[in-house]
Amino acid sequence: MTSAIARQEKPKIGLDRDAALRLKNNRLGMTIFQASWIMVFLAMIVVNWQLRFSYAQWPPAGVAPFDPLLPSIATLALLLSAAFVRQGWGSLRSGKLGDFLSSWRLALALGGAFMAIIVYEFMTVSEAALATQYGVTLRLMTGFHVVHALAISAVMLRVYRGARSGAYSGGEHEAWAVEGTAKLWYFVAVAWILFYVVLYWIR
Amino acid sequence: MATIAVPLGAEAEGHEAEAVQRPALSEYLRWSVDHKIIGVQYGVASFLFFIIGGAMAMLIRLELWTPDLDLMVSGAAYNSLFTIHGTIMIFLFIIPMWAAFGNFVVPLQLGAKDMAFPWLNAFAFWLIPPAAIVVLLGYFVNPAEAGWTSYPPLSTLFSGDGQTLWALGAHLLGISSIMGSINFIVTIFNMRPPQMTLWRMPLLCWAVLATSIIAVMATPFLAGALTLLLLDRVAGTTFFDAAGGGDVLLWQNIFWFYSHPAVYIMVLPGMGVLSEVLSVHSRKPVFGYRMVGLSSMGIAFVGFTVWAHHMFTSLQPELRIPFMITTMIIAVPTGIKMFSWLGTIWGGKIRFTSAMLFALGFMSMFVIGGITGVMLAALPFDIHVHDTYFVVSHFHFVLFGGSVFAIYAALYHWFPKVTGRMMNERLGRIHFAFTYFGFLFTFFPMHIVGMLGMPRRVAVYDPAFAPWNQLISFSAFVLGFSTFIVIYNIIRSYYHGPVAGANPWRALTLEWATTSPPPVTNFADDPIPFEDPYGYGTEASAAYLDAVDAAFDGRGGPDG
Amino acid sequence: MEDNRSNIPSISPAAIVVAAVFLLVSVIGINWFTTFVPVVLPPQASAESKSVDELFYILVVIGGVVFFLIQGMLLISVIFFRARGEDRSDGPTYHGNPLLELVWTIVPSLVVVFLAVISFNVWSQNSEPKAAVNMINGEEIVIRVTGARYAWTHVYETGRLDPDGDPIVINSGDTLHTYIGQNVDLELRTQDVIHSYWVPAMRVKQDLLPGNPATGGRLTEIRFTPIRVEGTQYPAEYPIVCAELCGDGHGRMRGTVVVHEDESQFLEQFYEPAIHTILNPPADPVLRGEIVIQEYVCHSCHVLDSLGWTNPIGPSLNGIADRAGERVPGQSAEEYIVTSVWDAAAFVVPGYNEQMAQFGPDQPDNYQMDAEQLYSIVAYLCTQGEQSDCDNENSTTAIPEAIKAVFGLEVDITFGQGDGEAETSKSDGDAGDANTNQEDGSA
Repeated sequence: MTSAIARQEKPKIGLDRDAALRLKNNRLGMTIFQASWIMVFLAMIVVNWQLRFSYAQWPPAGVAPFDPLLPSIATLALLLSAAFVRQGWGSLRSGKLGDFLSSWRLALALGGAFMAIIVYEFMTVSEAALATQYGVTLRLMTGFHVVHALAISAVMLRVYRGARSGAYSGGEHEAWAVEGTAKLWYFVAVAWILFYVVLYWIR
Repeated sequence: MATIAVPLGAEAEGHEAEAVQRPALSEYLRWSVDHKIIGVQYGVASFLFFIIGGAMAMLIRLELWTPDLDLMVSGAAYNSLFTIHGTIMIFLFIIPMWAAFGNFVVPLQLGAKDMAFPWLNAFAFWLIPPAAIVVLLGYFVNPAEAGWTSYPPLSTLFSGDGQTLWALGAHLLGISSIMGSINFIVTIFNMRPPQMTLWRMPLLCWAVLATSIIAVMATPFLAGALTLLLLDRVAGTTFFDAAGGGDVLLWQNIFWFYSHPAVYIMVLPGMGVLSEVLSVHSRKPVFGYRMVGLSSMGIAFVGFTVWAHHMFTSLQPELRIPFMITTMIIAVPTGIKMFSWLGTIWGGKIRFTSAMLFALGFMSMFVIGGITGVMLAALPFDIHVHDTYFVVSHFHFVLFGGSVFAIYAALYHWFPKVTGRMMNERLGRIHFAFTYFGFLFTFFPMHIVGMLGMPRRVAVYDPAFAPWNQLISFSAFVLGFSTFIVIYNIIRSYYHGPVAGANPWRALTLEWATTSPPPVTNFADDPIPFEDPYGYGTEASAAYLDAVDAAFDGRGGPDG
Repeated sequence: MEDNRSNIPSISPAAIVVAAVFLLVSVIGINWFTTFVPVVLPPQASAESKSVDELFYILVVIGGVVFFLIQGMLLISVIFFRARGEDRSDGPTYHGNPLLELVWTIVPSLVVVFLAVISFNVWSQNSEPKAAVNMINGEEIVIRVTGARYAWTHVYETGRLDPDGDPIVINSGDTLHTYIGQNVDLELRTQDVIHSYWVPAMRVKQDLLPGNPATGGRLTEIRFTPIRVEGTQYPAEYPIVCAELCGDGHGRMRGTVVVHEDESQFLEQFYEPAIHTILNPPADPVLRGEIVIQEYVCHSCHVLDSLGWTNPIGPSLNGIADRAGERVPGQSAEEYIVTSVWDAAAFVVPGYNEQMAQFGPDQPDNYQMDAEQLYSIVAYLCTQGEQSDCDNENSTTAIPEAIKAVFGLEVDITFGQGDGEAETSKSDGDAGDANTNQEDGSA
C-alpha cells in the first residue's frame, strides 16, 4: 500500500518535508487502524460473553473445560515473537541488517509455532463442546484471529525477503514497511492476549 | 494584529487562475487519487442512490395509499422494498454523501494538497459500486426482507439468499467507511497549516473529525455482527438461534452498538455544514465556537452509551432505565448546538440564499426530531410508540429534516467551488419551498398515526388510518417531485450557471481562497488561513476578503 | 480578536413586541394542542394508560415550549435580521457569551433530570408486579399467548379438570377476553421469529423472543389492568397489533382484546360457554372441525369466506373440496387434504411457495395437532365446495382410511375424552365476528 501511495503521489515540492509528513501520517493512520480494528475483536468478546448467559454454567454442563496448557505455550511463543520483531526493527534502524534478519527469522518461526498450535486447538475441539456455544465461540475467535495472524505473517515474510535483498537500508523513512508490519504484529499479539484470557481463564 | 494574510500562491497565479479548467467528465469515471475527483465521484454516486431510494419511497407511499395490499404482489415484496430503501438511504446515500463533502471540502479547508492517503481514499470509494451491486443483486434471488435492522431469526432462518448478499454488501460498505474515516482523522490531525490550531479549525472539520472517530470505533461492531450473521446463514452456526444456544438479543446489542452511533455519523457532518453555512450567510461569527466543536465530541461520546434504547421492548426491564437516562443526556449537547446556531444568526445580516434557506429549514425541522427524540427516550411513552410510525417520523425528522436538508445546504453552498458555476437561486428557492412543506406534511402526520396505533413496516393497516395515510402519501409525492427541481438545477447550472469566481459568498475559510474549481494541487503553495475562520465583521476580515477577490481577479458571484 | 463594538446585537422594540406575541401564540398553541391530545391517542383503556398519557402531556408541554421558542426565534431572525436592499455589510463580530452558553447547558440539563425522574416514576409504577393477577372465580389462572407467523393464540389454563381428569384449556384464538379491573398478566412466547404484542389502547407493548424449545422457550410478560372508558358499550373491543416485523403477513397479524364490563359478564359471555363446549364437543365431525380449524393459525394465511378469512398469503381454501381430487394424480380428495395439512411441502400449489408451517403430533404448542383433530379439520374442509370430490356420505371411514394411507396412523373416531391437552376448543362467537369485522374493509 505504501509503495502504491508513493507511485500515485502528485508532483511535490520539498521531498524531505513530504516524506516526513508521509511517515507521520502512516504512523497516526496505523494507530487509528489498530484502535478501530481491535473493536472487532472486542465485539467477538461481547459475543462470547453474552452467549454465556444462555447457559446455566460455563463451560456448559457435560463439556470439559479447555486445557490452557498448549494455548499458554502458544501465547508465550507469540509474545516472544513480538519481542523479536521489535528487536529486529531496532537493529534495522541502527543499520544492522544482519541482526534484523536473524531476529525476524526467529520471530517468523515462533509466529509459525503459535499459528500451528492455534490451528491444532481449532481442529481438536471436542464434539461435546462443539454442540454448545462454548466450542463454537472458541472456533469463531481462534479462527478469526488466525486469519489475521496468517495474513500479517505473510506480509512479514515479504518484508523479510525485501530486507534480505536490501530494500530497507536507507533509514527511517524507507523502513516504514518494516515499522508498519511490526506494529501489525503487535496488534496480533494484543488481540490474542484478550482472546486468550477470555477463552481460557475467565470462567 | 490585522495582518492581511493571503494565500501565497494566489498572487503569483492571479492571472492563470482564469485558465483553471474543470476536469473532463471522463475523469470521474475512472480511478483517480485526487480528493476533488473522488469527492465528486462519491457525491454523484450517492445522489444516484438517493434517487433510487427515493423512488422506492414513492412506491412505499403508493402502496400505503390504501389500507390493503394492492401495488405489491405480496407482503414480502413490500418488506424487501422498505428494507432496500433503508439500506440504500443509510449506507449508500447519507454516509457516502458526507464522504463526498468531507473529501472535497476538508482538505481545502485545511489548506492541504490532498487527503493523507490518496490511494486508500480512492479504494474506499471504489468499494461502494460493487457493494451496491451486491445488495441490489438480491433482487435476482429472494431480496432481503428483514428490514435494514435485519433482526434474527427472521434474517437468518426465514429469509432468502438476498439476505446473505445484503450482509456482504453492508460488510463492504462498512469497510469502506472505516478506511475513509481513518483517512479523515489523519488528514485533520496532520495536514493543517501550522497557523491553524485545533481551535481555529473550521467547524465542518470538527464535525468530520467527531464523525470519523465514531465511524472507526463503531463500524467494526457492524463488521462483527455481519460476520456472525453470515456464518449463521451459510456455515450453520447458531449464534442467533436459541435452539442452538444462541441469543437473538446478541444481534440487537451488537448491531445497535454500531447503528445508534451511525445516526450521529449521518447527522454530525450536517451539523458541521450548518455552522459553516449559517455563519457565512448571516455574516456573523459562529456563536460559542468552542462549545459547538466540543458538543460534537460530546455527542460522539455519549452516543456510544445509548444503543439499548432501540431495545426498550425486548431488553430485560431492569436494564432499561440506565439507557433512558443516557439517551436523554444526548439532548444537552444537541441543544447547545441548536441555541448556538440561533445565537449565530441572531443580529446578523441574513442573506436568503438557497443554502441559507436549507440551513434554516434544518433548524426548523431538526428541532422536531430532537423533541420527539426526548419523548422516545422517556421509557413509558416509548413503550407505547416503539416500532410505530411515530418512530418512522422521528428518524426521518433527524435524517431527512436533519441530514438531507444539510446535504442540500451543502450542495448550494459548495456547488460553485466544485464546478465554478453558481446554482440558480430562484429554482433553489422553489426547491426549498417544495421540500420544506412536502417534508413537513409527509412526516408530521406520521407521529399521529403512530400514536393512534399503526405499527411500522406494514403494507396492510387498519382502514381507520387511511385518510392520514393519503395525506402523507400526497405530501410524499410533492416531496418526491421537489427532487426533480434540484436535479434540473444541477444539470442546468453545471453548463449554464453564472461563473462563480473564487469566493462568491465572501467566506473566510480556506477552500474559498483558491480558484473555483481549484487546481489539481489545490493551492500553488501553502496557504495562510485567516486568523479566525468565522471572524466576519472586522476590518481585517474585509481586507482579507478583498485581497482574495483581488488575487483571483475579483470576480464574485451574485452576492459579491 | 474581540471587537469593541457593542457586544449585544441590538434588539429593536419591534422585536420585543414580536417576541411577546410569539410567547402568547405559543401558550395558546400548546393549550390548543393539549386539547387535541385525545384525538392523537387511542382511548385510555387501562390504568397504565392514564399515567403514560400524563407523562406524554408533560412531554408535549415541554416540547411545545422548546418548539415555539426555537421556531419563534428563527422567525424573528428571519424577519428582523435579514440583509435589506443592497446592504452588503457584515453583522457584528460577536463570538459568544459564556453566561448564556452556561444557561443553555444547565437549563436543558435540569429539564432532562426532571424528565428522567418523572419517567422513572411512571415506569416503576407501571411495571410493578401486581398481587392478584388473572383472577377468575377467585382464583389466579395462567393465560398464555403464543405468537406465530402470522397469528396470535390465547390460551387459558382454567385449572379445572374434565371428567377424565385432564386439565381444561380454553383456546380463544386471536382474542383475549378480560374484564374491567382484572389485573392481566400474560405469558408471552413465540414459535418462530420475534413478534411484539401491542395493545395501543392499553399503552403496553412487549417483544416475544425466541428461546430454546427444549427448555420451554423464552418467557416474557406483559401486564395491564383494563379500566372503564366513559361512553363505551361493553363488551368493548380494542385491537392487538404485532409491532415487530415478522415477515410477509406482519401487517395482518392482529387480534382483539375484548373487555367485559365485569367478571360476571366475562363468565357468562365467554368463560363458562367455552368450558361447556369443551366438555360437550359436537358429535358431528364437520361441526367439530369448524371449531378446531379456528384454534390454529390457518386464518393468518388463507382465504375462506365461510369463516371470514381474508389473508391471501397462501392458496385460497374456498371450494377446496372441488379441486382436491384433481391436484395430485392417484390421490383421493381426502388423501390430498390430509397430506396438505400435515405435510404442506409435498405439493405446493403453483404460484405459492413452501412457507406453510408444519403441523403434526410432534410439533410444538399451537402447531401440535393429533390425528383426531386432523380428522375433524379434513371433515370440515371436505364440505367446502359445490360438488365436493370427497366421499362425504362415508366420511367416517373415508377420512380415517386416508390418514392411515398417508401417515399410517389409526384414528379414534369416537372422540373419546382422553386426548389430553389437545382437547381444546374455541367456542367464542365474538372472536370470529371481530375478525370478520376487522377484515371487512380490506376484503
